[in-house]
Amino acid sequence: MDSPLLSEPLFLLGPVPIMVSVVVTWAIMSVLAFMAMLLSRRLTQVPSRVQAAAELLVITVDRQIHDVTGAAPAPYRAFIGTLFVFILIANWSSLIPGIGPPTATMETPAALALIVFLSIIFFGIQGGGLGGFLRGFARPNPVMIPLNMLESLTRSFSMFVRLFGNVMSGVFVIAIVGSLAALLVPIPLMALDLLTGAVQAYIFAILSIVFITSAVEKGKSPPKKDS
Amino acid sequence: MSFDLWTLGFQAVNVLVLIWLLQRFFWTPVAAMIVARQASAQKTLDSAAAERAKAAAELAEIAATRAALQDERRAILDAARAEAEAARDSLLEDARAAAQVLQDTAKAGRVRAAETLKNTAIAEAQGLAVTIAGRLMARLDGSGTDAAFLGWLAEGLATLSDTDRKALTGATITVVRAKDTDIAAQARLTEIIAGALGTTPDLSFRTDPDLIAGLELHAPHVTLRNSWRADLDRIAAALADKDAVSDAA
Repeated sequence: MDSPLLSEPLFLLGPVPIMVSVVVTWAIMSVLAFMAMLLSRRLTQVPSRVQAAAELLVITVDRQIHDVTGAAPAPYRAFIGTLFVFILIANWSSLIPGIGPPTATMETPAALALIVFLSIIFFGIQGGGLGGFLRGFARPNPVMIPLNMLESLTRSFSMFVRLFGNVMSGVFVIAIVGSLAALLVPIPLMALDLLTGAVQAYIFAILSIVFITSAVEKGKSPPKKDS
Repeated sequence: MSFDLWTLGFQAVNVLVLIWLLQRFFWTPVAAMIVARQASAQKTLDSAAAERAKAAAELAEIAATRAALQDERRAILDAARAEAEAARDSLLEDARAAAQVLQDTAKAGRVRAAETLKNTAIAEAQGLAVTIAGRLMARLDGSGTDAAFLGWLAEGLATLSDTDRKALTGATITVVRAKDTDIAAQARLTEIIAGALGTTPDLSFRTDPDLIAGLELHAPHVTLRNSWRADLDRIAAALADKDAVSDAA
């Protein structure tokens, strides 16, 4: 059995290796984009079941964002919602035989964490300006600047590790059990893996909006005067 | 363990592209549709509220119209009642006047009937008196009666006024008797009248049974009545005068 920490390129595009996870991600992107385009052309005032489900998803994402930020969800809706949907579909793609979830490799969670890290900076500067965003590292006092900077790195890194560890471990356990036991034995573990995948997608999306909101609020709040 | 930076870059770009795609084709259109539906629902609610307000206003207007109609109906009924009362009073007054007229007419008719009855009774009484007088005359001695009436004639001529006496003197006097006058009677009458007037009169004789008994002298300007008919006429006139006096009283 190969180590789940190893990933071999599916093919080489010149010097660039194209991994399986990238191809699976492209497939997921294609399916989601196709379904989105198909749905957007059929939106009506009287919704179908598919449209009602899509609207329920949008409303749920909006409500979660509003509960966390207390602000209008529109600026964060596409980013947070897409993270949640992509991670959920990526996690659940392990149900398809022969397909490994992209989130079970280190590059995909790392890319997601990197995007979240950059989005925190982007929304922080957008909310409070560059000065406000940088002043946020000096709270409660300038001594905390190194720790705050380290925290901003480690919390994104922890998101990467959490997502990767949970999904990879699930895949790994199912692979081990599948290799040792009969065909139907891994099914309960696969069901558990479904739940883990959904929970991890939710946790990743919620932590992202929490961190973004924290950066925006720190940039907006006035600096404390020294007594 | 391996970590490929190319894959990291591919996945980062892939996720960013997916974010853009879904924002373009999913999140924004669906959210816009939700907002549109909410706006439509709000518009429907506003329209329903406006319709409800309009219905309430129309209801109030209907209530006001109904109240106005009720007032108008009440006014019309009052006017009709007053008009009916006036018409009733007028009819009662007319009926009262008509009844009074009928009563007066009936009273006048009753008076006329009583008068007519009385006159009829008087006439019948006169007829009865004449009948009685005729029958009495038939049983009396004719010569005696004639002598009495001749005596009364002489007394009548003696009591004439000078004017009546002059009117008789020289005028043609018609002597009317209840029975035919024979030559002797004519001579006797000529003698009595000449004695009373002092001259020989120009006499003519005529018979009228209605006189019952007695005789009358008719000149152009003087009439001397000396018959039972004249007596009965005087009695009837006296009775009529007495009844008139009684009615007046």
